[in-house]
Amino acid sequence: MSPLLELKNLGVTYRTGSGEIEAVRDVHLRLEPGDTLGVAGESGSGKSTVAMSVLRLLPKSARVSGEILLDGEDVTTMRWGRLRAVRWAEASIVFQGAMHALNPVRRIGAQIAEPIRLHAEKPLSEAEVGARVADLLDQVDLPVARAGAYPHELSGGQKQRVMIAMALACRPRLIIADEPTTALDVIVQAQVLDLVSRLVAEQRLGLVMISHDLSVLAATCARIAVMYQGEVVEEGPGKELMAAPKHEHTRALAAAFPTVGDPVSRFAPATSTPLPPEPETPPAPDVLLAARDLRVSYGTLHAVAGVDLEVRRNEIVALVGQSGSGKTTLARTLLGLQKPTSGQVLFEGTPLTARGLKAYRRQVQLVLQDPASALNPRHTVYEAVAEGPRIHGLPGDERQIVIDALESAELRPAERFLSRLPHELSGGQRQRVVIAGALALRPSVLVADEPVASLDASVRGEILGLLLRLRRELGLAGLVITHDLGLAWNIADRVAVMYRGELVEVGTVEEVLLTPAHDYTKALLAALPGATEPAEK
Amino acid sequence: MTDTLAAAELIDPDERPGRTGTARFLLGKLGGAVTSLLLVAALGFLLFRLIPGDPVSTLTKDRPTSPEQIADLRARLGVDKPLWQQFLDYVGGLARGDLGTSFGYNRPVADLIAERFWPTLLLVGTATLLAVTIGLWLGVRAAWRRGSAFDRTQTGIALTLWSVPQFWLGLLLLIATHGLFPSGGMRSPDAGPGFFAQAGTIAYHLVLPCVTLLAVLYAQYMLVMRSSLLGEMDAEYLTTARAKGLRDDLVRRRHAVPNALLPTVTLVFLQFGMVVSGTVTVETVFSWPGLGLLTYEALRVPDLPLLQGVFLVLAGSVIVMNLIAEVLYRVLDPRVRAR
Amino acid sequence: MTAAIVWQRRRAAAAGVWREFAANRGGLAGLVILAVIVLLAVLAPVITDPSGLDVTNAPGRPLQPPSGRFPLGTDIDGRSVLLLTLWGARVSLLVGFAATILSVLIGTIVGIAAGHFGRWVAGILLRLTDFFLVLPSLVLAIALSTVLPQGIATIILAVGVTSWPTTARLVRAQTLTIESRPYIERAKALGGGHLHIVGKHVLPGVLPLVLANTTLVVGNSIIAESTLSFLGLGDPSAVSWGSMLQRALSSGAVTGGAWWYLLPPGLAIVVIVLCFTLVGRALETVVNPRLKGHS
Repeated sequence: MSPLLELKNLGVTYRTGSGEIEAVRDVHLRLEPGDTLGVAGESGSGKSTVAMSVLRLLPKSARVSGEILLDGEDVTTMRWGRLRAVRWAEASIVFQGAMHALNPVRRIGAQIAEPIRLHAEKPLSEAEVGARVADLLDQVDLPVARAGAYPHELSGGQKQRVMIAMALACRPRLIIADEPTTALDVIVQAQVLDLVSRLVAEQRLGLVMISHDLSVLAATCARIAVMYQGEVVEEGPGKELMAAPKHEHTRALAAAFPTVGDPVSRFAPATSTPLPPEPETPPAPDVLLAARDLRVSYGTLHAVAGVDLEVRRNEIVALVGQSGSGKTTLARTLLGLQKPTSGQVLFEGTPLTARGLKAYRRQVQLVLQDPASALNPRHTVYEAVAEGPRIHGLPGDERQIVIDALESAELRPAERFLSRLPHELSGGQRQRVVIAGALALRPSVLVADEPVASLDASVRGEILGLLLRLRRELGLAGLVITHDLGLAWNIADRVAVMYRGELVEVGTVEEVLLTPAHDYTKALLAALPGATEPAEK
Repeated sequence: MTDTLAAAELIDPDERPGRTGTARFLLGKLGGAVTSLLLVAALGFLLFRLIPGDPVSTLTKDRPTSPEQIADLRARLGVDKPLWQQFLDYVGGLARGDLGTSFGYNRPVADLIAERFWPTLLLVGTATLLAVTIGLWLGVRAAWRRGSAFDRTQTGIALTLWSVPQFWLGLLLLIATHGLFPSGGMRSPDAGPGFFAQAGTIAYHLVLPCVTLLAVLYAQYMLVMRSSLLGEMDAEYLTTARAKGLRDDLVRRRHAVPNALLPTVTLVFLQFGMVVSGTVTVETVFSWPGLGLLTYEALRVPDLPLLQGVFLVLAGSVIVMNLIAEVLYRVLDPRVRAR
Repeated sequence: MTAAIVWQRRRAAAAGVWREFAANRGGLAGLVILAVIVLLAVLAPVITDPSGLDVTNAPGRPLQPPSGRFPLGTDIDGRSVLLLTLWGARVSLLVGFAATILSVLIGTIVGIAAGHFGRWVAGILLRLTDFFLVLPSLVLAIALSTVLPQGIATIILAVGVTSWPTTARLVRAQTLTIESRPYIERAKALGGGHLHIVGKHVLPGVLPLVLANTTLVVGNSIIAESTLSFLGLGDPSAVSWGSMLQRALSSGAVTGGAWWYLLPPGLAIVVIVLCFTLVGRALETVVNPRLKGHS
């Protein structure tokens, strides 16, 4: 019996204005019926290109070489009619970010029904199609009444369920899932992954899942292939690969998602310049930044509902929660970017006033999630870093201030970066420029909103290491907002868990993550892919 | 225990569908339109009293007049009263549908406008309907085959027509067809009184003005539709549709076009002001007895009450069209409906 | 030395923009033709004899068809249509540019203000913009030109104050896009005030789009000028393409079949507006890479 999917010597090149770019080369992969395969890699590793090539959905500028055998039949040489018949009926796709993959102006019931009608061998009656749609929605645990909904009326998790229902519509033998849970919160992600695993096992489906997150793949797939710069660098059973990664890049990917509770990764994010062990000095007792019964409401929505939080000198606090928990609103309010409805923000015991805002901003600085958009694309590195000192009229040689800040952010030699534009830098370098821009004001607290969420796994550890070193060397305190418990485990001293506008649990990292008290914290920990139940102590 | 945190509760508040009522939306839009109409009324009043000097002297510029005649005229026009009194009279008149009396025709402005309304509606309605149909069709075809010979020629033609002053195109057509079609008016005097004879002569007279208006309008709709569809071409849901195995034309008809059509619809209505501008020049060139020609006649005199009346009616109708567009958009786009 | 770096950067960026623009053949052709037309218009008093414009001193007989002496024939007064068309360019271009500057200035200020300042400022400005946007601009321009003294200044004012809302809308949308970028949040967190945000980030981000839009507005302004002149609202003493066409119709030359009187000014308008449109679209693609391949 031939394998369900076999890629032989697959290569894909894109023609662009500036020559040809080889996105994928020399890829051999094999999937038996009912088998599950995970493809891991960072952005630009070619993993999505591989996924799209299976149904020949690559843009016109792509040239494919090698063979793509779907059930023994080569997709690359199929005629259009045959290809259309194969699409969705034999292999279907769960796209990344269901938000955009669903047609915004058609009801989801109609979108699920579309391939059913299209691939039916004989014309189906309305009732038959309706029954099938209801059955599919039921399989993905959505109420049948939701068939009349439009995509925007559904939550992110529900949309992803719709995508899965749609993928199952024609009973294909292979499902390709391209980053199916990337935009989702941890708890929803766990639910969706459970659902996929259950359906794949029940219906004996073949599954190819693409992700940048090794732990997600390890939780769902029997085998994992790791891609790096267009090539498969390592392939093997998921458990083995996670336990003993051979290739350097696999190790970087694995380290990016540390296991909470693993003492090896405590205060030790994966970085090429290892940190010396943390000194056993407890954080100083003086409070730098504090929130007192802070509330922010938009109409009837209470984004921040009475928060008390302190950040002390020489301390990193992680504020953990999922999207919609109010953590970003809290951060913006602490920075004076959002007016609180009631309550106070205090710096060194002094309440923040509109008059004192500018002086306050020299002390409390911001690092944003996506460095690509946090820098004005028209400003050079020099201008970006000098922006703060110029606004505040800082005394001293501007050039020296800029160079010092860049050196502190470990962009060395600083002179080489001064005249670069953001688009000429890598993601990690850009984030360092953003950090340097904040450091140029010599602040005492950094508020970092998901500082590594949009960075590749291998860069993540470097930036986290930088934050730790800045604390050690400059005594810089940090408030790191994140959805990622592993990040908190990596660098934070204390954790505050936010749920529906309130802090439900605050304490040291060990207390909160190893012996959680609140149900919500427990739920978050349980939802970590591959995580065992929180250690009972 | 995850039961206490049911999935539905974890929806991002931003994504939760809003529950703003349709009634509230309609009231808001209606309020906006009424405000605009009031602004138009105020603007109409102020504009025609901005006139340097005095409307009476403008009116009697080239005629010998006695002081008594002037005084009489001033009283008849109401310009002898204080400005606030004039404004109250004006607003009161508007409320009763009284737009004043035309200098030139010596008849109520409202009657004149009512007479000339239907020919304009016929001309604009026919041209817009045809322009929308042709423009959208060509726009879809051009965008779907971006860069093809069809796309390039059609875009080229549209861009050229878009650069043509409408009145000049009208004049050109007059010369080019050279007597093939009537050069002016709406019906021939020798046409029979029967319905078909009348309809025939009107249709015959309609051809040239309609083609002139159509040529510029369609180009605009085509360009809008084209760029709107191009904006959707890279959308991910189209990849989904292709992955499902849909034929190319089904991907286009079922998925791409409905999405691209929405912004186009609003633009079609938003550009209605340009259609009105077009009627002024086209009706002037072809002596089509509508509101546009009336405007031209009024400004030749210059007949200020008539001009003011036409201004109010044309601006008002554009505002009403926009109100319709906003309501229509809400009906068509489920995303807006939920907001 | 940092100033030198910035300067060098700017020059390199300008060269890049030019290369991208020049890659668009339509835009390049438009630019070349425009340059020629503007040059001819500016040099008209040097290369031609303005005395031929005088009605009392017309060199030819009325409505002569094209001939060796009058390549484009003569008008109703016996003046050379070629000469009139050449001189007409001066008024049309002057009005086009002046009205555009007025319109773009109002539009940019209103647009940035409406996008940058929230709440009631934006509310009022948006209401105002929407109001003017839906007003039929020609009718408003007609009303303005009737009540103000006839002349070029009136036409400029009438066209300028009726055509700004589209620019305002566009600029506001772009301002909102820029304001939603995280780098604005970063600038605020660094302590930047309104002046800093608008001056350093919003305005430089909006300007390229404004420039592209400006070229499109010039085309519209030229058409609007010719329309107003055609309706007899222009400066009676100045020769413009619109007033030539008005004379052509009112004198009965059109119905008489004098195509040489009708074609040159009309074609001139079409060519110049088309050139501005092509340049504007090419600039738009350079400015907004998302449109690449769309035009």
